[in-house]
Amino acid sequence: MLKHWLAAVAGATLLWSGAASAAADLNQFKGKTITYIVATGPGGGYDTYGRLIARYLQKYLPGSRVVVRNVPGAGHIVGANTIYAAKADGLTIGMFNTGLIYDQLIKRQGVLFDLSKFSWIGKASDDTRALMVSNKSGFKNIDDIIKSKAAIKFASSGVGSAAYNDTKILADALHLNVQIVPGFSGNEGEMSMLRNEVVAEVGTAESMEQFVKQGHGYFALALSGDATSLPGVPRASQYVKDDKGKRLLGLVETLSEIGRLTAGPPGIPPAVLAAEREALTAAMKDPQLLAEAKKLALSIDHAPGEVVEAKIKAALAQPPETVAALKAAAGG
Amino acid sequence: MHLDVAFSTLFDLLTTPRLLFLMVIAVPMGVFFGSTPGLGGKLGLVLLIPFVYNMDQLTGAVFLCAMHAVVHTGGSIPSILIGVPGDGPAAATALDGFAMTRKGQAGRALGASFGASTAGGLLGAMFLGLSLPILEPIILNFSPAEFFLLAILGITFIATLSGDSFIKGMIVGLFGLMCAFIGLDPSTGSPRFTFGQIWLWDGLSVIVAVLSMFAVPEMISLGVKGRSFDVSAETKAKLHDTGTAPPETAVSRKVTYAQIFEGMWDVVEHKWLVLRCSLLVAAIGVIPGLGGDAAAWMAYGHTVQSSKHPERFGKGEVAGVIGAETGSCAKEAGSLLPTLFFGVPGSSGMAIMLGAFLMLGIQPGPAMLTDHINIVWSLIWALVIANIFCVFMLIAAGPWIGKLGSTKASFLIPYVLLFALLGCFLFGGLWQNLLLVMVMGSLGYLFKRHDWPRAPFIIGVILGKIAEDSLQKALALFGANFFLRPISLILIALIIGSIGFYLWRQRHPNKVSVPSHA
Repeated sequence: MLKHWLAAVAGATLLWSGAASAAADLNQFKGKTITYIVATGPGGGYDTYGRLIARYLQKYLPGSRVVVRNVPGAGHIVGANTIYAAKADGLTIGMFNTGLIYDQLIKRQGVLFDLSKFSWIGKASDDTRALMVSNKSGFKNIDDIIKSKAAIKFASSGVGSAAYNDTKILADALHLNVQIVPGFSGNEGEMSMLRNEVVAEVGTAESMEQFVKQGHGYFALALSGDATSLPGVPRASQYVKDDKGKRLLGLVETLSEIGRLTAGPPGIPPAVLAAEREALTAAMKDPQLLAEAKKLALSIDHAPGEVVEAKIKAALAQPPETVAALKAAAGG
Repeated sequence: MHLDVAFSTLFDLLTTPRLLFLMVIAVPMGVFFGSTPGLGGKLGLVLLIPFVYNMDQLTGAVFLCAMHAVVHTGGSIPSILIGVPGDGPAAATALDGFAMTRKGQAGRALGASFGASTAGGLLGAMFLGLSLPILEPIILNFSPAEFFLLAILGITFIATLSGDSFIKGMIVGLFGLMCAFIGLDPSTGSPRFTFGQIWLWDGLSVIVAVLSMFAVPEMISLGVKGRSFDVSAETKAKLHDTGTAPPETAVSRKVTYAQIFEGMWDVVEHKWLVLRCSLLVAAIGVIPGLGGDAAAWMAYGHTVQSSKHPERFGKGEVAGVIGAETGSCAKEAGSLLPTLFFGVPGSSGMAIMLGAFLMLGIQPGPAMLTDHINIVWSLIWALVIANIFCVFMLIAAGPWIGKLGSTKASFLIPYVLLFALLGCFLFGGLWQNLLLVMVMGSLGYLFKRHDWPRAPFIIGVILGKIAEDSLQKALALFGANFFLRPISLILIALIIGSIGFYLWRQRHPNKVSVPSHA
């Protein structure tokens, strides 16, 4: 009988200690300041997400203070470099554009980080990419665009940016006759559509949704996401025939699935990383955060750091021909 | 025209104590951010955004708008009193404003500045209200082709602001243009003039350029002289020798209410200039792609060009202060329009304001005209009320503000340099900018010491990037014939007219070129 009791107590002790090690110690940040780096200037979408996440991380890491620091420059590269080079104590984390995967793949000058080595804390949303076409263009659907003999003008942000690469990839994968006009930032591309100068642009569905709702354009093609993200819109995968195109589009899809990432430098101690992952997961489920995000028209679709890490590593494992295609795209 | 909404929102603003209180505290904040070299309105917005996060849409937007509306009025204070502008538009005010202070007319310059900025702010807001029904066609008629030609028109003002030596002005202006090309090449995405430095990929900041060319040189100059900015005996003697000295009372360091009102009366006497500059700048501010910094310089350029006495500019001509200040403040209303209705910011400050609007849940778009017209009118009235409140506040504080001009160099130099460097660092978060300010500031001091004009450098930096970016887009969109579009042809005529007018003035026997201490 005593043996059974001893065994039961020992078992319970083991279970309890196991549970304790699985549940991260969220109190370890008491009295500490965490710097949350946003790799853009203040005021944009990344800044809004970053500030929202920072406030709720603070809530779920009791006694901590999470301050946002904007580190803009070189299309998120400076911010990502800064996070990567920070001390791996979990007190410096931050957010940057997933499009940096392109920059790492083509070994762009200035990239001092290795995305596969970051300590991934989690992601906040999906960035479903889509092709939006102006209602003034005369093109009724994607088939019209594919059939076009004349070069079609697409607006895009600067050469080398994620949106520019997405546009190039779509044009290559679907063999579209496209002339990309780069240099449009924010909503300038949409204004150019209103002036009937350009026909279409590739971007995140979230950023173009307002324009579509206003009746100025329509989503002609979804480059990523599932059937629920853009109901009734044709999927790009239906139109891609060759392997090279499928691989390129697969890369865009992966990037779309891991938007608004939070990461820390390589080598954050497992216990610290686990606590930050747990705090982010809790924050992403917080009803107040969800209500605020809804008010700000920010979508929330969380995935934990482990999932993000796996997807990043998969996205970085590209064959040489895909990398060559990306390099060609980046060269203008 | 929504007249009922227009007046009901005004009534609401004036009868809601919370909104009035917030506007009352926003105005001194705006003046503080504007008048502290290096901080400026953009940083002010960045620092205040967290405070509006939990406010409702209307309250938060009115608070930020009221603060931002008076930033440039505040910015004129250090420009006039110590020759240290905080941003691009304020640098235009410094050209004549500081020269007036050195002539002992600081009070008059401040009065002219307060009056002109208020008039510009009010006329700009009126323009914003009146243009609501025809907004869309105005904005949509301007494409990158027109942005390029407007930028070229602005660049032609380099000649006007070149002073004694056209060649010196062109060299400095071209140097500014070259500096504008630092960064990523828009057509290839490859780094250009960056010397392997990634922090230069985003180009040279206008704030860094302005502080380098004005704040640092003035402080070095002050340190070398080792005294305050008060009119020196040497200057007084020089003024007497040349027969241009004002009465002794006017050369006093003191800023009096009489001087301030004299400056404000100057604004009334230059009413047509104020009207022209307000409309010109508000219209330019409306066109996203050119930017408010460019608009203020174009107002100053227009003031010099249209004056019967261009030779007086840069020496302390009150019209220079009036033109520049009207331009600085009128553009705020204009640049609010594309920000609200297209989500495309009309100036760099409005780019941050746009982010704040989104954070408050205000979705910019044409629906603002239908679904949220009350917010639009509330913001227009916030601009008006903030400007009126600001002018009363500054007039009341005028004599105390004037004391800044006679502050001891030993106190002023570290204060100004500290804030200038802090501003440079805080905005971009780049320590490298601190080195850049010191290196370029030394160059600016050499320009100042050897009477080379500094204003063309700022124009080159501001307009060079716009010109290049717009040219690339115009060529891609319309091909080489882009300049045959109707508005483009009008702008080309204006450019030719501007150059022709300059050449005519050079040959006219009674016209003397502008001195080069701009």
